[in-house]
Amino acid sequence: MAAIAGRPAGKASWQRGLRDARLWLLLITAVLMLVDGYLIFMVAPTDAVLGHVQRIFYVHVPISILSFLGFLICAVAGIGYLIRRTERWDRVAHASAEVGVVFVTLALVTGIIWARPVWNAWWQWEPRLTTTLILWFIYVAYLMIRQYAPTPQQGRTWSAVVGIIGFVDVPIVYYSVQWWQSIHPKQVIGPEAAEGALEPIMAQILVFSLVATLALFTYLLLERVALRGIEDRLSQLRREGNTD
Amino acid sequence: MQSENYTNPPAEVSAYLESEATEERSGWRSHRMRLIILVGVIALAVAYMVYAAFPGNTQYFVSVSEFLDDPRLHDGQTLRVAGALDPESFRREDGSASSRFALGDKEPDVPGLIPGTRVMEASYVGVLPDLFFNPHSEIILEGSYDAQSGVFATDNILVKCPSKYQSLQAENPDAVPGAAGATQGGY
Repeated sequence: MAAIAGRPAGKASWQRGLRDARLWLLLITAVLMLVDGYLIFMVAPTDAVLGHVQRIFYVHVPISILSFLGFLICAVAGIGYLIRRTERWDRVAHASAEVGVVFVTLALVTGIIWARPVWNAWWQWEPRLTTTLILWFIYVAYLMIRQYAPTPQQGRTWSAVVGIIGFVDVPIVYYSVQWWQSIHPKQVIGPEAAEGALEPIMAQILVFSLVATLALFTYLLLERVALRGIEDRLSQLRREGNTD
Repeated sequence: MQSENYTNPPAEVSAYLESEATEERSGWRSHRMRLIILVGVIALAVAYMVYAAFPGNTQYFVSVSEFLDDPRLHDGQTLRVAGALDPESFRREDGSASSRFALGDKEPDVPGLIPGTRVMEASYVGVLPDLFFNPHSEIILEGSYDAQSGVFATDNILVKCPSKYQSLQAENPDAVPGAAGATQGGY
């Protein structure tokens, strides 16, 4: 049967397989997030200087890193779209920008909550915070430009350009704590981190949080790409309905 | 789906898109206006934020010794001075929120003052931050130097913490007696 129907049947089963994979990923993400919550509140040691408020670090750092990943995917898929001009690339770029904006918003919010008890201020116009806010503006503009463009095609092209140029801000955000002496702490994980910035148990829980948040990120991205596919199909059907 | 078709849009699709654009000329114009206004507002916002965050080549804050050595900073201008609290110097007027204290240079990731460093007298009226007395904290004072009294009049206090996290257990308790006490209350 499948052999006779050829490509369409193969495609349908492939899509069903992808849907099942998303369901499994959702389940795995839920379990990872629950375990992560347990690790953060029950296992992670209380910080000697900052106290319990430091636990927000296990949320703040992973979502900040993954917002960067979202914008990286957006920029790469944007390049892909400008070269190939296929909607598949645009779907990935659009979805990753949306997920990236959600993550960078959460990074700003958790940072604001953390700053109040520690810095004694909700917000500071210092390099790390300001460049992150600029990043937020760039990718919110990316999403707005899609809507404001005269035709969907122009929206895709213009937003791809914004997504690619906007990515320039990501390394600026990352290195801002190295380049300018300021109030925000420097990196505690990765190549720029100082030796012994984290206790081993704290580093392990941070890595676990990173994996759990990556699972959430991947799930949201796949779900959004699939939803964009359905949206595109719907608008195509609407157009066909109108012209007939 | 039929995404392959979009590689080269068929003639009727291009014609459809063009006709839509010409049909709604006024709509197209207003779209363009909105876009220009949007880009303008965002560009202005970004320019302002860059200006606010990096005023010229000045630093975010100066150290206590940089402040003491530079008479140009003593003219009453608003600035930030960073250092460590001299715990012996802290005095509070009875029944008021006024306090006097001294700040000296601090080595990053080393608790307390650098031994033998010069200190700067400062005054503040208000509630002190939670981590003010913690020896790990780098205190950042926002305010201006009052030449008449010779004291730095603080408007706002910020606390910078080291880029390093350590558990209560790992911390050597007798080296920093204030640290454990500061976290007992938690938040």
